[in-house]
Amino acid sequence: MSSVIDEVPRPSEKSGFGSFESSTPRSLIGGLSAAAAWSMVAALTAFWPDKLESDWAYTGSFAIACGVLAVALALAAFAGVRFVAFRRLQRLSPWLFALALFFVAWEAVTAKLGLLPLPFFPPPQAILEVAIDDWGRLAEGIFASARLLATGYFIGATVGFVTGVAIGWSRLAGYWIHPVLRFIGPLPATAWLPLAFFVFPSSFSASIFLIALATGFPVTVLTWSGVACVKSAYYDIARTLGATQRFLVFKVAIPAALPHVFVGLFMGLGNSFAVLVVAEMLGVKAGLGWYLQWAQGWAAYANMYAALLLMALLCSGLITLLFRLRDRLLSWQKGLVRW
Amino acid sequence: MVAAIASDHAVRGSTLTLREVSHRFNFEGQPLPVLDRINLQVGRGEFVALLGPSGCGKSTLLRLVAGLDTPTAGSLLTEGRKIEAPDPSRVVVFQDPTLYPWRTVWSNVALGLEARGLLRTHRGRIEDALRLVGLTGFANAYPHQLSGGMAQRAALARALVNDPKLLILDEPLGQLDSLTRITMQAELVSLWQRSSFTALLVTHDVEEALLLAGRVVVLSDRPARIKAEVVNSQPYPRHRGDPHFVELRREVFEHLGLDEAW
Ligand SMILES: Nc1ncnc2c1ncn2[C@@H]1O[C@H](COP(=O)(O)OP(=O)(O)O)[C@@H](O)[C@H]1O
Ligand SMILES: [Mg+2]
Repeated sequence: MSSVIDEVPRPSEKSGFGSFESSTPRSLIGGLSAAAAWSMVAALTAFWPDKLESDWAYTGSFAIACGVLAVALALAAFAGVRFVAFRRLQRLSPWLFALALFFVAWEAVTAKLGLLPLPFFPPPQAILEVAIDDWGRLAEGIFASARLLATGYFIGATVGFVTGVAIGWSRLAGYWIHPVLRFIGPLPATAWLPLAFFVFPSSFSASIFLIALATGFPVTVLTWSGVACVKSAYYDIARTLGATQRFLVFKVAIPAALPHVFVGLFMGLGNSFAVLVVAEMLGVKAGLGWYLQWAQGWAAYANMYAALLLMALLCSGLITLLFRLRDRLLSWQKGLVRW
Repeated sequence: MVAAIASDHAVRGSTLTLREVSHRFNFEGQPLPVLDRINLQVGRGEFVALLGPSGCGKSTLLRLVAGLDTPTAGSLLTEGRKIEAPDPSRVVVFQDPTLYPWRTVWSNVALGLEARGLLRTHRGRIEDALRLVGLTGFANAYPHQLSGGMAQRAALARALVNDPKLLILDEPLGQLDSLTRITMQAELVSLWQRSSFTALLVTHDVEEALLLAGRVVVLSDRPARIKAEVVNSQPYPRHRGDPHFVELRREVFEHLGLDEAW
């Protein structure tokens, strides 16, 4: 392992890389620095003895995983000299390097020096242990959360969108729905929780209702304001060209309102995450939220961190997905925010 | 170039009659009279220009002709039938191009055909119209990628594609630079000659009115009344320096009350 560390390229040693460096020395240096940093994590985990009273089952596996990552990064760095595809990794190498430093610090203050109190702050290998030993339940949790969220969000977004278009388009719909929306909309969806859990036949359907409610309000309001903001000149143009009401709604009002609708969809998605976790903790006996609480109850903090990490991945993944969809549908807009 | 657009009928322009048309807006609770008993008869295939100071009510009048609004008093007829709603045989090119930003130039031009369910059968017209206004290379561009003049030409193509019987032009060349403007004026005339629709052009540019139209209707300040009509029967293309043209221009300015300034 220590021989890998020796490979750390320093600026003064550049000449040691011979003919490569003239073409892409920086990507090579970046990649190899990251590789070196990760091999340091591996070496530190493997050879620095743990603090006496602790025994972590997966210390070796964690060291090996870091070592494998280090080798992979080194290979990718060399491959980057030849293949452009690997060069994209160059942009990541500062992050990979910093992440390795974070792991070194984490490993040091937990398993090695025991500076942070247990069981609240387990070392990284404990989380790896959870991932390996408890992946079945974690996978079930992700699946349950994703299913609940997707169902509730889809229903809420659809109902919200349709309601918003109706209020924006029809005076009659506006007259009847607007007051209800104003009265009930600002209420946090979680306030319905006690009621929902005894009105609905199952906690699952109650949670779908709550998530749909949390999603639906911002989607409705923003769709409505989007439709209401459509320039009347757009309608004039279409009307003089022979457009029907149907055409005006579907080909003018809705496309023109779409940027607003997406703002609503993003806000709704954020709201739905919050409600999902609360609903899972309080009612549904499944999903990552429930897993979180269960882990906390058993003081299984490593499990809690693992679930937290997965939840962050799930939420961030869904937001990314929504951004992708928006970028596709609204490619005509100037200056979109990149996610 | 315009063959496909101009093909179908020999005489396709429609007539237009305005009888005692008056219109009022409500502005901050006060009635704001904008049009005052306008009488106008436009013959089949005629090119008439409405000339008046800005804010006098020209756009308002065009919206009535298009059927987008109904007049407070009086009636508008086309082919002897009352104008009650917009109809694709009367197409407007608005002062502002207002292209749909979410559609490419091509599908903006396709709008009318799509709205009437003719896209499948008349697809080829879109290409023709784009070629006519010189935007062939920009079919896939989005409106935010166009200059002001290109956007206005796209708006013109969007109107022409519908093969109108009455083309209503609301200062369509107002936003163009003077060079493009001169080219487009010539294009408009030859387009009108070849496809023989009836054209109603609103402008505040005296030369433009006289270059394009066979008859120039001079409007007063708000509320707009018809002050005078100047007939220009000179053949096209007309020249700004031509003595008769200069004489007509002086006459129009006189009607506008601007003879001393001139
Ligand atoms: N929807 C409206 N409500 C109230 N006033 C209007 C409206 N549209 C136009 N006006 C007024 O009518 C007058 C004539 O407007 P317009 O027809 O646009 O003039 P222009 O001759 O410049 O085209 C202006 O004074 C304008 O303020
Ligand atoms: Mg105007």
